[in-house]
Amino acid sequence: MADGTTFKIDGREVVAKPGQTILQAAMDEEIYIPYLCYYPKMKPQGSCRACMVEVEANGRKMTVASCTTPPMPDADVTTNSEEVQGLRRNVVELLMSEHPHGCLTCHRIELCGPQDICQRHVTVTDRCTICPKNERCELKDTVRSVELDLRTPLNYHRRDLPIHVDDPFYDRDYNLCIVCSRCVRVCDEVRFDTALTLTSRSGVALVGTSHGTSLLESGCEFCGACVDVCPTGSLTERNYKWEKAVSEVTTVCTNCPVGCQMIAEVNKFGKVVRFKADLAGAANNGQACMAGKFGYEYTNDSLRLKRPYVREDGILKKATWAEALDKISAGLGNHAADEVAVITSPRGSNEDHYVAAKFAKTVLKTPNIDSALNADNALLSRLETRIGTGAASNPIWDLEGAKSLLVVTGNPTEEQNVLAVPAKKAVREGAKLVVIDSRETELTRYANEWLRPRPGSEALLIAGISRAILDEALEDQDFVSSRIENAEELKQALWKFDLAKVSRDAGIDEEQIRRAARVFAESDAGAIILGNDGLTDSTTERVVDASVDLAAITGNLGKPSSGIFPLYQGANTLGARNVGAVAGDKGRDIQGMISAMSSGDVKAALIMADGVSGFTPSLRSLPAALERLDFLVVSAAFDSEITHHADVVLPAATYAEQNSTVTNLERRVQLLRVTAEPRHEERTGWETVASIANAMGGDGFVYSSASTVFDEIAENVAVYAGLTYELLQSGGIQYPVFTPNSEILFSDSDSKISVSNPDYDELAGSITSDKLTFAPGRVLNQPERDVVVRKPAEMNYVDREQLIQIHPDDAKSAGLNEGDMIQVKSDNGHVLARGKAVFESPQVGLVGSTTLFGELATEMHELESADWTPHMPGLGLSSATLEAAPVGQGTGAAAD
Amino acid sequence: MPTQFEELQARANKRWAELTEGDSAWIRVGGGTSGQAAGTDAVFDAAKSAVESTGVNANVSMVSAMGLMYLEPQLDILMPNGSRVFYGNVESHEVADIVEHHVQNGEPLTERAFAYSGGDGSGFGNLPELKSMPTVALQQRIATRNFGDTDPHDLLQYVANGGYTALNRALTEMTPEEIVDEVKAAGLRGRGGAAFPAGVKWSFLAPSKAPVKYVLCNCEEGDPGAFNDKGIIENDPHTLIEGLIINGYATRSTHGYVFIRTGHELPIEAARKAIADAYEAGLLGKNILGTDFSFEMEVSLTGDSYVAGEETALMEAIEGKRSTPRFKPPFPAAAGLWQKPTNINNVKTISYVPEIVRNGSEWFKGIGTETTSGTAIVCLSGHITYPGMYEVPMGMTIREVLEKVGGGVSEGERIKVLQAGGPLNGLLGEEAFDTMIDFDAMSAAGASIGSGGIIVGNETVNVVDLLRSLIAFNQFESCGKCFPCRLGNTHMLEILDRMCQNKAKSADLALLERVGTSMKAGSLCGHGQLGFNPIASALKYFGDEIKSCLAGEIAPGGVYGDGTMILPTRTRP
Repeated sequence: MADGTTFKIDGREVVAKPGQTILQAAMDEEIYIPYLCYYPKMKPQGSCRACMVEVEANGRKMTVASCTTPPMPDADVTTNSEEVQGLRRNVVELLMSEHPHGCLTCHRIELCGPQDICQRHVTVTDRCTICPKNERCELKDTVRSVELDLRTPLNYHRRDLPIHVDDPFYDRDYNLCIVCSRCVRVCDEVRFDTALTLTSRSGVALVGTSHGTSLLESGCEFCGACVDVCPTGSLTERNYKWEKAVSEVTTVCTNCPVGCQMIAEVNKFGKVVRFKADLAGAANNGQACMAGKFGYEYTNDSLRLKRPYVREDGILKKATWAEALDKISAGLGNHAADEVAVITSPRGSNEDHYVAAKFAKTVLKTPNIDSALNADNALLSRLETRIGTGAASNPIWDLEGAKSLLVVTGNPTEEQNVLAVPAKKAVREGAKLVVIDSRETELTRYANEWLRPRPGSEALLIAGISRAILDEALEDQDFVSSRIENAEELKQALWKFDLAKVSRDAGIDEEQIRRAARVFAESDAGAIILGNDGLTDSTTERVVDASVDLAAITGNLGKPSSGIFPLYQGANTLGARNVGAVAGDKGRDIQGMISAMSSGDVKAALIMADGVSGFTPSLRSLPAALERLDFLVVSAAFDSEITHHADVVLPAATYAEQNSTVTNLERRVQLLRVTAEPRHEERTGWETVASIANAMGGDGFVYSSASTVFDEIAENVAVYAGLTYELLQSGGIQYPVFTPNSEILFSDSDSKISVSNPDYDELAGSITSDKLTFAPGRVLNQPERDVVVRKPAEMNYVDREQLIQIHPDDAKSAGLNEGDMIQVKSDNGHVLARGKAVFESPQVGLVGSTTLFGELATEMHELESADWTPHMPGLGLSSATLEAAPVGQGTGAAAD
Repeated sequence: MPTQFEELQARANKRWAELTEGDSAWIRVGGGTSGQAAGTDAVFDAAKSAVESTGVNANVSMVSAMGLMYLEPQLDILMPNGSRVFYGNVESHEVADIVEHHVQNGEPLTERAFAYSGGDGSGFGNLPELKSMPTVALQQRIATRNFGDTDPHDLLQYVANGGYTALNRALTEMTPEEIVDEVKAAGLRGRGGAAFPAGVKWSFLAPSKAPVKYVLCNCEEGDPGAFNDKGIIENDPHTLIEGLIINGYATRSTHGYVFIRTGHELPIEAARKAIADAYEAGLLGKNILGTDFSFEMEVSLTGDSYVAGEETALMEAIEGKRSTPRFKPPFPAAAGLWQKPTNINNVKTISYVPEIVRNGSEWFKGIGTETTSGTAIVCLSGHITYPGMYEVPMGMTIREVLEKVGGGVSEGERIKVLQAGGPLNGLLGEEAFDTMIDFDAMSAAGASIGSGGIIVGNETVNVVDLLRSLIAFNQFESCGKCFPCRLGNTHMLEILDRMCQNKAKSADLALLERVGTSMKAGSLCGHGQLGFNPIASALKYFGDEIKSCLAGEIAPGGVYGDGTMILPTRTRP
């Protein structure tokens, strides 16, 4: 069986791979068998029965569902006999009795337009031409393949249900549902959310939400997986609902470093009308998230900047590129090297960053260059030092096979969403999960051990776990002796750690630390997902050190389903670092630039502002700092708080308007492709910088296309050596390229890793000295708490009492009681949260609260900016004060 | 030194002797769900207070029901002299009188009694002996052997009547393979409806070396007119528990589940109590009866779902999921409950196992017919004189069961139609009444023993109405997973609705057949595959009546749409 089963389909010899069903084998051979409930990469279901085939084996003949039946050796499968076709026709005919089908069964199906008069008197609302899925309906294909008659003798029952259009991003019209349950299953067995469920049974079985009518409280993460798999018009994206696509282009989402491969559907006006996750995508395996699935349409927005603007008399006025470039040459050229800075876009491509870095180095001669979201500097740079690259040691989907997982101060479900999918799969399949986080996040709900420590004590806690592992001799002795260079040093250092003291300092029960140690170390494959939310740079470095040490002593490096996965911000931060668009030792990094702008040390700047928002916590002070500049050039897609301070604004092309490459967090270089040509004078990042460089007399900035830029990158940047666009056409490639087993670092059994020499006091020194730290949490749903969904206008919104978790000691010192209405204020007086005090905080000094993802989804959906993804607030920690809420304030999720 | 089992037996025999051989009389009141419905609780209370107020020396017990439901509430009195007199249809106000005359004065109220047993052989006037009554005489009780005699909640009474000797024998004298061979040789076929040889099924599971294996026992029993599974569990749960432990040993399984539908209150209570008692007595848990064999057992419940009785849907239900059938392969023996190797058997099948192990396969093989050995536990209801649960040897004809055991038609002149084996099986007309009760003979007649329920209809029953009720049940109970069953049942119901309302056209019959054929060939599980059976068999036996209604005529003696059916509004939003 290991090498497959040989059998025949319609007389053709076919070899099924082990574990394949007849349908899957047929699909590999491009033999058409209709199906409705089956979907690639999902478990077979066997409910639609449209895939019935005739199988003759061992002298017996039977009719089976090909989606669930494995082929028998030497079986003869007939897909199209009169009998099978008749059976299929009968099943489809039954299906037609509850799905509008006047057009489906009509020979004019391809000929009619929406405005045509129907000779057959098919009700307008029952026509295919007005169905949002008309051009991409799987049901239609199936119906046509069985050749139904014009009419069926069965009675047609329209369900006449109201259409759900009141939740964010997508509509649900269960009048068109055929109850194939693909959506329910993708939500459950692929996304592990179970936000959707089958309701009722028999003839009235249907799809619905698990708790009621709205997706906002059902645990939906608005990833759109259900929309992607729906074979009918039941589930449709609300934007461009009825748009017909004329072409499909495979490209990459540039919202986060997962780098999901997406299929963009483009209409005849060159607009991107839909984004679907690509099943062939190696980084995302057919999945996407709210931002990737629904946050694409800013490229089509009419408020896009169309041409350059130059500030005259305080007002930005229309200008030509030539005028703008003149002004820039003067403005930037006018300053000393150290007085200028270049900030690149987090969405920028490798080409953009490379040309920008070259420009900074050779034209401006300044070391001040950084990527806007490279605020995670410490996470990546420390990892670079420790494991040789500031990226994941293993592929993202390797996580699905992990047997234990440790997630540290990261919230992948929201910020690197698709990375959480294989992690959740591993947990569903029995992997043990340990989460170290002061905030409540989605993953804490699945955690076997949720360590909710005193903020800043994370590194100490991880070192404590390592200590507990050594204590109980759970380390991987082989790995420790053969692969770690200086294991003894680490052991000696950890022997000095007193677990009881770790427990006291971190505020975590010693036994829980030991349990976490056992859970992580006793599995065959443990992976560490490492974030740095709320950590300072020095703490981050210690957390990285402690995590690498932990991975090393447990032997979780260099083998599948283990390793370290950094959660950083910015889709192409890694690419930016690779091609040199980061501050070196002499240059200022992004934070340094912002403070140098405020102090007047930096006087002129070029900002590539696509995806840069003052809303991002690390960039909050940027807009104010820009005000002090003498000269500012901004390349942007939209008018924003960044362009307000600009002297010259250049129109930027978006992700959809360029061929370029980006590098994701698993070291995969992937190709963006032009899905829509720029309509006006927009230029891509590298074109813009090259134009400026040429205008300023720079040398070597004449490129004929993005691929020539990339060829130059491949020549100059070692990790990309040998890569070309040609090679990337068939999918992303992970570096180190042309190296066997390069997808997993340290897989060479001769490679060595060194461990650190932790010092207790240094690690304990990271523990926050703030009196109170506010750690906001967010989860997909909280079934234990009541949620009311209200519909004040057209849309649903979540309305529930906010609870503020505080420690009784903190309440006492603030003079508050349990049950009081209180508010949490930041140091600058900003109200962070308001609600009822509950004594549920495990730590003195830790204030928590948990909101629902549905609230965030509504907020994003209602945001006026078309480019809303940079506005998604993360869950940053902040120093806070507590006070009684002013009388008369509502109890809702407050924040002003 | 006596073994653990011998000690248990000694305790049990002592207890039984106290009840049956001492100076006290033993008043037994038949319990069970149908007894309860008939008012047995009040009779029991009345018996207790009568004993108290008269001060007679008597024990009062609520025991298992005899299965003679037409005589419920039922009470019998065993006197110290060994005579036992049975009173039927007892009303609670009569009890004091009966106790006073019978126990206190030693003068049984023979005019209120229906039978006697035991005693010195002189009898009680005209009162028939119990075993001479046709409803008893024609029975051959194996799974129901203790009915009417023992308290289902008392493990010791079960042991005293030979209980758990089979288990003891199996564990101490037989290898698992020998038991499987014994069950194979006995020709025991599954009583859940499919009639698959149980020993063969066990042999699929036995060789698997998996560390965790399950044996499940299915008491979903949702068929209207079937109550024998519930009957066995509520009246003699230990016969099932013992059988399931033997099943577990024979297949080297580690866990057993007794799966009962929510709402079957007495069986649930009885099974839970019996399992707890068995643990207490060392018959379950680690090292059963001091041997190496360990086996855990618990009761698992479903919601109200008929399809949960389908074997894979049942596993989904136990796993806490929506109870919808899985596709096969993989078959349960390879990947069943929690994806572990699993066997699943019906309550009745398992309940025969202790007696087969105790008496040997030859003995069992000697009962019944060539192809179907053993007995059939039939539940008679509807227009029948003696409704009840009867265990008769396979091979009796339907007519014998109806006429001799059931006493013939009640309220009417003749039996017109039978609904046998649950709503997924066929209707039978008079020309089929001479069919033998035997899996193969029944299936040749277009029906099935199925779960054992036989609902009897007299000449006033309209076949189209009856069909409509059955299809309405099937439609309502479809789980909604596969398209042919979910939609096909709905359309069949619609067409039958039209027929009931005299609005059907002649083409509707062909349509009905077309839908039925798609369901049969296309459905995922038996619920859809068998869903057309009632109509197919009705066409065979009552074709004229059905066709006459298509022509717009009302069949003789029938009234369409008399309001007793489930309204269509329940099946559509």
